[in-house]
Amino acid sequence: MVLGVLIAFGEMLSPGTYTNVQITWLHLPPAPGPFPNGFSLVMGTLVDPISSLMLVVVTVVGFLVMLYSIGYMHSDRGLPRYYAEMSLFLAAMTGLVLANNLLEFFLFWELVGVCSYFLIGFYYEKPSAASAAKEAFLVTRIGDVLFLLGIFLYFSTYATAGPDGGWAANGFVFAHNSVPFLPLPGANTTTLTIAGLLILGGAAGKSAQFPLHVWLPDAMEGPTTVSALIHAATMVAAGVYLLAVASVFLGFTPTDQLAIVAVGGFTAFFAATMAVVHPDIKRVIAYSTISQLGYMVLAIGAGFAMVGLYHLFTHAFFKALLFLAAGSVIHAVGTQDLFRMGGLKKHMRLTAAAFAIGGLALAGIPPFAGFWSKDDILASVYSQLGTHPLYWPFFVLAFSAVFLTAYYIFRAWFLAFSGDGPRDPTLPAAHEGPWVMQVPLVVLSAFAVVAGLFVFVPGFQHLLVQGTVLGGIPPTYPATDLALSSISVALGLGGIGLAWTLWGNGRVFSLAETSPVQPLRRLLLNRYYFKAGYDAIGLRAVYPFARATDFVDRFVIDGTVRGLERMFGAGSDRLRSIQSGLVSDYAAYVVAGLLALFVLLLIVGPYLLGRFGGG
Amino acid sequence: MTELALTGFLGLSAALVGIGIFGILTRRNFILLLISVEIAMNAAILNFVYFAAFPSGTHGLSGQAITVVLIGFAATEVAVGLAIVLALNRLKGTINVARATELKL
Amino acid sequence: MLPLISIVLATLALGTVGTFAAGTRARWVALGTSALFLAEVGLLFAGFTGWPGYSGTLVPGFSYTETHPWISLAWMHIDYAVGVDGISLIFVLLTAILQIATVVYSWGETQRPAGYFGLVMLTCLGCVGVFVALDILLFFLFWELVLVPMFFLIGYWGGPNRRYAALKFFIYTHVASIVMLVGLLALVFYSGATSFDFASVYAAARGLAPVVQTFLFLALFFGFAVKFPIVPFHTWLPDAHVEAPTGGSVLLAGLLLKLGGYGLIRWAVEVLPSGLHSVQPLLFLIAFLSIFWGSVLSLAQRDLKRLVAYSSINHMGIVLLAIALDSSLGLLAAVLLMFAHGVVSGLLFMASGSVHHQYGTRDIASLGGITPGAPALSTMIMAGGLASLGLPALIGFPAEFTAFLATWNGLGYWVLIPLSVLVVTAAFYLWMMQRMLFGETKGGPPDAHGLPWYESAGMGLLVALTVLFGVLPSLLVNVIVNSPIKGWPGT
Repeated sequence: MVLGVLIAFGEMLSPGTYTNVQITWLHLPPAPGPFPNGFSLVMGTLVDPISSLMLVVVTVVGFLVMLYSIGYMHSDRGLPRYYAEMSLFLAAMTGLVLANNLLEFFLFWELVGVCSYFLIGFYYEKPSAASAAKEAFLVTRIGDVLFLLGIFLYFSTYATAGPDGGWAANGFVFAHNSVPFLPLPGANTTTLTIAGLLILGGAAGKSAQFPLHVWLPDAMEGPTTVSALIHAATMVAAGVYLLAVASVFLGFTPTDQLAIVAVGGFTAFFAATMAVVHPDIKRVIAYSTISQLGYMVLAIGAGFAMVGLYHLFTHAFFKALLFLAAGSVIHAVGTQDLFRMGGLKKHMRLTAAAFAIGGLALAGIPPFAGFWSKDDILASVYSQLGTHPLYWPFFVLAFSAVFLTAYYIFRAWFLAFSGDGPRDPTLPAAHEGPWVMQVPLVVLSAFAVVAGLFVFVPGFQHLLVQGTVLGGIPPTYPATDLALSSISVALGLGGIGLAWTLWGNGRVFSLAETSPVQPLRRLLLNRYYFKAGYDAIGLRAVYPFARATDFVDRFVIDGTVRGLERMFGAGSDRLRSIQSGLVSDYAAYVVAGLLALFVLLLIVGPYLLGRFGGG
Repeated sequence: MTELALTGFLGLSAALVGIGIFGILTRRNFILLLISVEIAMNAAILNFVYFAAFPSGTHGLSGQAITVVLIGFAATEVAVGLAIVLALNRLKGTINVARATELKL
Repeated sequence: MLPLISIVLATLALGTVGTFAAGTRARWVALGTSALFLAEVGLLFAGFTGWPGYSGTLVPGFSYTETHPWISLAWMHIDYAVGVDGISLIFVLLTAILQIATVVYSWGETQRPAGYFGLVMLTCLGCVGVFVALDILLFFLFWELVLVPMFFLIGYWGGPNRRYAALKFFIYTHVASIVMLVGLLALVFYSGATSFDFASVYAAARGLAPVVQTFLFLALFFGFAVKFPIVPFHTWLPDAHVEAPTGGSVLLAGLLLKLGGYGLIRWAVEVLPSGLHSVQPLLFLIAFLSIFWGSVLSLAQRDLKRLVAYSSINHMGIVLLAIALDSSLGLLAAVLLMFAHGVVSGLLFMASGSVHHQYGTRDIASLGGITPGAPALSTMIMAGGLASLGLPALIGFPAEFTAFLATWNGLGYWVLIPLSVLVVTAAFYLWMMQRMLFGETKGGPPDAHGLPWYESAGMGLLVALTVLFGVLPSLLVNVIVNSPIKGWPGT
């Protein structure tokens, strides 16, 4: 961690100090064909403003979560496995952040994916955990396939057109401090648009964006520490990071940007609606993660990669904080059901405060971290609204999600912490965790308060601006629009107010069964039937199709083979019957053969020779 | 000898082969079968003799030599054949080949 | 210079005879032979360009060549001609690895061990022979030699339906061999080559008319393709795998399937370029069909071994696709893929064998939650499954990545077919793991006495190599490209 922070500080002070180191991973020598100069795939590191920002997140949150794990996981068996997998994850995540080319990026991208698979399935005895792990891997795999195809598209587009004689010789390395490749000659705009969309697909898989969002709430089957580290702060942010890196080094076409804005804006709203009704404390936070990732994607689509990353940075801290605070609660009371909790703030003052700070940051209340970054996003998108008329609806969606965000997170807080006592009296008495669990909460709370103010630190600001310059965008950081900020803060406060009215002080708001909103609530609780739909595709379409293919294989193809076998068998049975055992029959065959030979030699042979005149 | 004479001799051989094959195809008695085989074989042996003499002297004595060897063969063949006849008779009480179908699968 | 390749062949031949004669101590003889063989392969590598640390200059063409007259006629020479280039050397290495892993894994074989280990040795001898032969007749001799021990391995040590499977395997591959032999002989005689030697056939085949090349290519392709196997000539494979003993399955998937790919590269693709060119669309079609078919069918399987067998069809379909692309990158990918598949499928078949030994069944649906009872075995299955679905840092990734990149360069958006099948591949492995390894333990551990040390050692070796070559694929690539093919440095 210390190393990571040091590198980042170094980058803040003197950009470009850490030049990239690289080794050749796979080298194809020059040969005739599509790559006349041969090509190399390399593995190397690159530290630049973008990666140093991410590096801080990964190392700091990683360290704090590991510390917290000592307390949270102490009674679990399989601890060596847990720490090994977490360490592997951190190593892979660091590799991803430092990767200096797309292939290496993809390599570590897959590795963090598999670590996530292992860790979601950490309690593998639970069928739901095993199933969630598989689902997470499969859904992200769809994104990975798109991403891989995107890499191929970029590769072949730039194999001859890129700088330094093309990527082919250069091993698709991100060109350091160069402008995006987009305006380069030889780059076909259609291909680039498709490539950009494919990259978006990859990012959507990893960052759980619509319509590949289904896996993240289920991923909450893993330990809470895993959710905090992987499914809030780092791995899911890798998709956003990919988009940022791609927008800086590869560039997106306007169509791509619109698609990214659409996905981000829609997801931000869509996920927030589902969080509104969910009774599970971790899943509420998970939906909020999806929604916040949507904001980041939105910012990148609008062309402000560094703003997106800034939100990623602050979000990592306050979201990890929320998860760890939720972890404390779960650790104490042994349930994740909000409706069974209540009144916990009496026994868990620190946790309640930490959750509240995280909630305020998430809701975008100044001066907490979330306010600054979220406000920057809204401001930056607002400044680009003139680019395309279709930006408007997504801006509105994202804007209204602010209200929902504030509402659902404080609904959770009130349900868990306010009131006189647990609604379910069978819950064990709540207590705070050991110091190793409290320290990270305190540290992260501090970050959640001040991380947003970092933007006023010259070095940090420099970092952001530098990253923006890398992206080829003029270094005008979006000016905070005071009116816009006021509206969003008002929306946030309104959300909190609504939550207080409905759920505050131990109140439980229940919707009448006959209420006209009931169908909507059911729709939300069932997650818009997305998961059910995907399951149906898997179980009712793909699997029966596979069984049908199996049937064809066994009975049509192999049946033909067996049929041939029977045919030969029956044929030889018939042939066998001419072997009567009678000497005179055999003699007759001999004579017949002799006659046939005569006919062949004396009549057919000369005829053919005469006809075709062979030698 | 002349061409005409050769044609005549070959005609004789052909007739003998025909008689032999007819016998082989129609007889069921093992001894008669053997006799038919011998007749057909003698036709072949006769052919060696004719061609050894046509045109005279060019082939040396190879035709005659083969003839002698073949006569030896024929003798051994008959000896084996008759032994089989005896064995068959002892086994089946008949020498009708239609009754000996043990080789059938 | 020492005639190293002849020494290798002699080692294996003597080892085979020794193992057959050794009775109850056969496994020791087999282990000794395998170790010696591996050491000799190490020597081969040590003297070969491209291996790290070797500083010799590049020798074009084949290394370690030996030619001794065997049958000399006025118009035709048949020689004992052997030698290796990068591609064959990689396959010889694969043989050595799988042989020693199989011998160690099968340490506990009690049913006529002399025969079992002897046949394993003989199979490897045949495979090495195929990989090093540079004379058509010698090649064919070794090719046929492989069939016999495999027939007996399946037919004697196999499962309940072994006779049917063994016969099916034998007839299928033998019919293919005959067509291939006709093709090879026609290649020699039509091209007017005066010897069966690779170099002279290669030179003479340049002059063949495209039509003739096409027919010759089809004949050779049929012969090699059944070994691959490709859809629709694949149905021998699942039966053979399901019935074969574990060691037999490992060799069958790891080596025998590679014979087809190797033969296609060595004797058809480079020798008959116009032939390849004219049947390319057909090959693509078959490859796509195999990729799709193998993958979808794996999804439907309940028997672990059948699942791995069908996934082999899928992988070998990708190999065929990569070969058919007829590009430098495609060829590299094909060789890498075959090596990767050899190691990984060996691992998976060993794991299925262990599952069968431990639990008495391989039926995925009736197994469940085996991880707590057998964590080591579960880890091996996961490693194999993840490597097979192309996880980076494991051996399958560099191979699949280059294959798909080559496909993209050769065929453009057609690459979507194999790429989307990747999702299905991931799905059936993950689903298998979810049902078998995780969840609640079903029925209790019937016979869980832990994994015997030799089974862990055999699988552990393969896992280690999967990681090693996955992290450092250049170890393989730098050797492969020293081949006289596609204008590579060995040319």
